[in-house]
Amino acid sequence: MSAQRHSEGPKPYWNPYVAGVLLGLTLLATFVVAGQGLGASAFPKRTLALAANTVAPAWTAENPQLGSYVANGANPLRNWLVVEVVGVFLGGFIGAVSAGRFKSTVEKGPRIGVRARMGYAFAGGAIMGFAAALARGCTSGQALSGGATLATGSWLFMLMVFAGGYSVAYFVRRQWT
Amino acid sequence: MNGAIFPLQIANPEVSLLTAIVLGGLFGFSLERGGFGNARKLAAQFYFYDMTVFKVMFTAILVAMVGLYSLVGMGYMNLDLLWINPTFVWGQLVGGFLLGVGFIMSGLCPGTSVVSAASGRWDAAVTLLGIFVGTAVFAVAADVFPALEQLYQAGSMDVSLLHEVLGVPPLVFAMGVLIVAGAGFIGAEKVESLFARKHEAIELTPVNKPRVKLELVGTLAVLALVGLGLRPKAPALPPVQAAAMAPLSLAEAIIGKDPALLILDIREDADAAETRIPGSYPATTPEAAEALLATAPVGATVVLVDEHGALKQVPDGWRRNVEYRYLQDGFLGWELKVLTPVGPGDSQAEMEFAARQGQISAYFSGAAVQITEVAAPPPMAGGAAKPKKAGGC
Repeated sequence: MSAQRHSEGPKPYWNPYVAGVLLGLTLLATFVVAGQGLGASAFPKRTLALAANTVAPAWTAENPQLGSYVANGANPLRNWLVVEVVGVFLGGFIGAVSAGRFKSTVEKGPRIGVRARMGYAFAGGAIMGFAAALARGCTSGQALSGGATLATGSWLFMLMVFAGGYSVAYFVRRQWT
Repeated sequence: MNGAIFPLQIANPEVSLLTAIVLGGLFGFSLERGGFGNARKLAAQFYFYDMTVFKVMFTAILVAMVGLYSLVGMGYMNLDLLWINPTFVWGQLVGGFLLGVGFIMSGLCPGTSVVSAASGRWDAAVTLLGIFVGTAVFAVAADVFPALEQLYQAGSMDVSLLHEVLGVPPLVFAMGVLIVAGAGFIGAEKVESLFARKHEAIELTPVNKPRVKLELVGTLAVLALVGLGLRPKAPALPPVQAAAMAPLSLAEAIIGKDPALLILDIREDADAAETRIPGSYPATTPEAAEALLATAPVGATVVLVDEHGALKQVPDGWRRNVEYRYLQDGFLGWELKVLTPVGPGDSQAEMEFAARQGQISAYFSGAAVQITEVAAPPPMAGGAAKPKKAGGC
């Protein structure tokens, strides 16, 4: 029955519980090895600090959000969480290619055009960038990592992410269904 | 004795960053395998026909939670050394809601947009661009609008753990989470089958094997019982190390009347006031030391004085919320570095040092009491506080 092995198209996703166990073990290993959790939003914040410091060093040093990243001439990108995100990109790439899922395309439902989808993607990204800065973390650093440590604020955050998503889902349904 | 070997504290920055690449790589790979590189699959969570986000995320939280708290329970992990997200109630409530809104609009969250972009999805690349812009907008806006900065800081509870807020032991709480999550998994699959008929199912969703989730939850429950239940003793805390304090720094702190300074003289003959450092207290017995320690405010600097500066490890059982220092070379060091004036040097810097040291020396040896240039104590070098890690996601 080699027909299946040679069948076209990507391999199926893993059983979600299996993927979740690998993800959980990775997070546990991160606690043990790095003394902190996994994250994603430190990357844009620190890249921004680097960019701002190049253009306006005085402003950056004074900025309460970014100043600490460039204090004492530090390179904001020389940081565990930043390098970890580079790893996420590489791991995601290896995963997508090895499963035959790498594809230059735009994910969207059948009822929306590419330009509108890109508009939603940008606007959603901008809202998330603002929100992650306000909440001191995103779904990775707050909900997942903070959730596993049983941090109170992380659980509040997680409940509100689902609340926010479900309360707006109806209005953007054309994009997906 | 202490068994808290975790978290590893990797001193070499290159090695530490190498672990970041490897662990980040595993993170990205498992997200991809779970289907988190596809915005349609993620968005389906919010239309009830593919609950993969919930299943993967909660499975991961359960595994890491049970693993972490079992390690803590068995004394292998020191929770004080783990960076835990501090709670700021209002920023996290409002930020969480907004992040959910952005999530359903873009179909991705910050971490998954990296994975999705790495899978070739252009909508994810545009989402990432948006995230950069949104982060910049916040950095500027929080600087310009005090109200936003207030929201960002509002409701601070420092590091707060849910089971402590609720007042239940970690084992009970972990079991509660396992039961709720197990029921949630069953419910999620019921919901999926209910809504699947109304929607075109997202391709490549594997057929769920219903038993897997129950086996998983059961296994984790057993692990939690073993890790947290059978050895409920509190983990032995690692001994507290005192950092060195130079005699001259101590002298300047005394002259500067540092209010958060407690000097304990633990020498056997410390009871004689004339041979003690001014302002120090005799602590010749453990009881006397602990009674004196109880008077110090939280975060105070406690300086230990012995004969030669041999006591670098704080005795077991002493309170842990003050910062311990030991006087370098003990009372001998005090005599040599403070009470004995140094000779004038050759260079400008040496002469300035000699003049300053001479004043301090005269102050303590009683030769002259007038101090002209000795101001407040300088910031103490080599603090024992653990380095603060940058937070973030």
